[in-house]
Amino acid sequence: MRKILHADCDCFYAAVEMRDDPSLTHTPLAIGGSAERRGVIATCNYPARKFGIHSAMPTARALRLCPELKLLPPDFNKYRDVSQQIQAIFHELTPLVEPLSLDEAYLDVTEVTRFQGSATWMARWLKEEALARTGIVISVGVAPNKFLAKIASDWDKPDGLFVIPPTEMESFITDLPVRKLHGVGPATATKLDTLGIASCADLRAQPMDKLLDHFGKFGRRLHELAHGIDERPVNVSRERKSVSVETTYDRDLPHRSDCHAALKPLIEKLHERMARHGDPAIAKQFVKVRFDDFSSTTQETGARGIVDVRFHELLESAWRRGERPVRLLGVGVRLVPEQAQRQLGLFDDGEPASP
Amino acid sequence: MKFSISREALLRPLTLVAGVVERRQTLPVLSNVLIEVQNEQLALTGTDLEVELIGRATPALVDEPGSVTVPARKLMDICKSLPDQSDISFSLEDGRVVLRAGRSRFTLSTLPVAEFPNIEDGQNDTTLSLPRGTLKYLIDSTSFAMAQQDVRYYLNGMLLELANHLVRTVATDGHRLAVCERSADIEMEASRKLIVPRKGVLELTRLLDGSDEPVELMLGSNHIRANTGEFTFTSKLVDGKFPDYDRVIPKGGDKVFIAERGELRQNLARTAILSNEKYRGVRLHLEENNLKVMANNPEQEEAEENVSIEYSGDALEIGFNVGYLIDVLNVLDSDRMQMTLSDANSSALMEEPGGGDARYVVMPMRL
Repeated sequence: MRKILHADCDCFYAAVEMRDDPSLTHTPLAIGGSAERRGVIATCNYPARKFGIHSAMPTARALRLCPELKLLPPDFNKYRDVSQQIQAIFHELTPLVEPLSLDEAYLDVTEVTRFQGSATWMARWLKEEALARTGIVISVGVAPNKFLAKIASDWDKPDGLFVIPPTEMESFITDLPVRKLHGVGPATATKLDTLGIASCADLRAQPMDKLLDHFGKFGRRLHELAHGIDERPVNVSRERKSVSVETTYDRDLPHRSDCHAALKPLIEKLHERMARHGDPAIAKQFVKVRFDDFSSTTQETGARGIVDVRFHELLESAWRRGERPVRLLGVGVRLVPEQAQRQLGLFDDGEPASP
Repeated sequence: MKFSISREALLRPLTLVAGVVERRQTLPVLSNVLIEVQNEQLALTGTDLEVELIGRATPALVDEPGSVTVPARKLMDICKSLPDQSDISFSLEDGRVVLRAGRSRFTLSTLPVAEFPNIEDGQNDTTLSLPRGTLKYLIDSTSFAMAQQDVRYYLNGMLLELANHLVRTVATDGHRLAVCERSADIEMEASRKLIVPRKGVLELTRLLDGSDEPVELMLGSNHIRANTGEFTFTSKLVDGKFPDYDRVIPKGGDKVFIAERGELRQNLARTAILSNEKYRGVRLHLEENNLKVMANNPEQEEAEENVSIEYSGDALEIGFNVGYLIDVLNVLDSDRMQMTLSDANSSALMEEPGGGDARYVVMPMRL
């Protein structure tokens, strides 16, 4: 059995801002783009969440929900610095660290002998060190694999430490709602619901054939997850090449206009996801379309910053390749490789980078 | 239409005009060259709708004036491969062009002359004249730094600045910048800044020789035309705001060294062999009277070179894309090169010792 930790900072950007200005701690605070520029919320603190505000929400809507919301623009350089300090703590424990974003990482501590090999103690140590050295609270999940570790870190947030030992894995999964499984979005959840599958126990009761019939390749994955099987390794040297968001729709989008309308929430989600990665430099933006006959197409264009309207242009030309109902839409960006980013630019300090 | 011309008289204008014609075209007629024969004069025109080039030649004999369009590349390939000094005759027969030379005969397809597009040029508001050598020098000193297919479309070209008694060219791809200026006998009421697209710049310099013969420039609000008599070149302009070059020229760097240009270039070229093939980073270690250049690649192979320089000052370690340095050393018009640096994250200035017509700014790479 492996020992995997999933560490996740609690409302990271907001936490950094509250650390630097404690007067913000008890007021609703959000980090994000301004409403005038049609920005979205990247992170908000718990007082703001009480108003129903959450990440990826358009800032304009957040301000309607909570007019006294304190909105700050993101300071990615600062967040990157704090993130590096926290990552350094992870690396003191093990070299097997897979960062998922600025505020989130998997650690494989199977071979770690410190703390008598107790993953629970390691998790406690990480929390203490992160708080002491950076002032940031992290939640940690401990489990025998990645998918359970991620669920565990979220289990008693904020300031959580939740352990799923191998002996309790069975009972934990049995009661787990299927919506908690990685890859189960609204469309799959609805479909599972109509099949009368609400928990992983229900899922386990299904024969594999039936899952394959209904969900294709993903049926096998569902079957495995329901049995607590997730062999994905903690991947150390992975360079992120793209950031994207996609959705499979409950019902196919019949017309082109439906597709354009569906793009907006995806773009908002993409902005939020980019913020979680510290707004990395981008080289291209793209739109992915899968039609109801399962044919897929991707259309991309060079870009230095996300231009929302360009996604609509890309969708337009991608849609024309099929001109039929759409099953899945995705928007994303390809990132500038880390190596290429070592080359400094002449105009990086604000000379026009648009259009 | 019927005329004959010597291979040598035809080949240079045809080659240059065919250079404008793109291999892949949206409109079939754009693959063709327009041939017009009138008043003992032959004019060849090629266009891609952004750049148009007309080349002129004198036929040996004109039997019947007229005009026609034929596939540019095929015509050029045929003329190139004919023997030297061939006399080539052209005639339009039943909608096809028949080309004869010695015992060779070729029949080429045609497309209607009416379909051949004219580049929209509008009004010229300014006309001025420069020595061809001046314009060629300015372009050749800077054009290597133009961007290629950058989303900042205004960088995919060259800034041509015309001021009272001064001509300046600027090119940058966002990582390095080249600026060159020369005095010229021109009078401008107000200075003009134009962005000539990359392709236009590269075609224009091919037309120019290093002589003091004039090239006439005609400027319009959205195009530039250059006339040498033999050639008339027209290019649309890039509509955009070029970055302020003066703002990025470093001032006040405190580490100044002088190196032999040719020696340093060879030194860098050797080191480059073992740099990362794609990103081409090299480290420069600047120390008293010595510059150490080092590179390594993902295979952990290493190169180290030392070159004597004139330098007394603090040591500095700084990284560069070696290609950017070599490009500058290739075009600098002096035996020695002066480089001014301040720190590992700030741009370097390369120029002739003491400063010359041309200045080059290169941003470093993080090591």
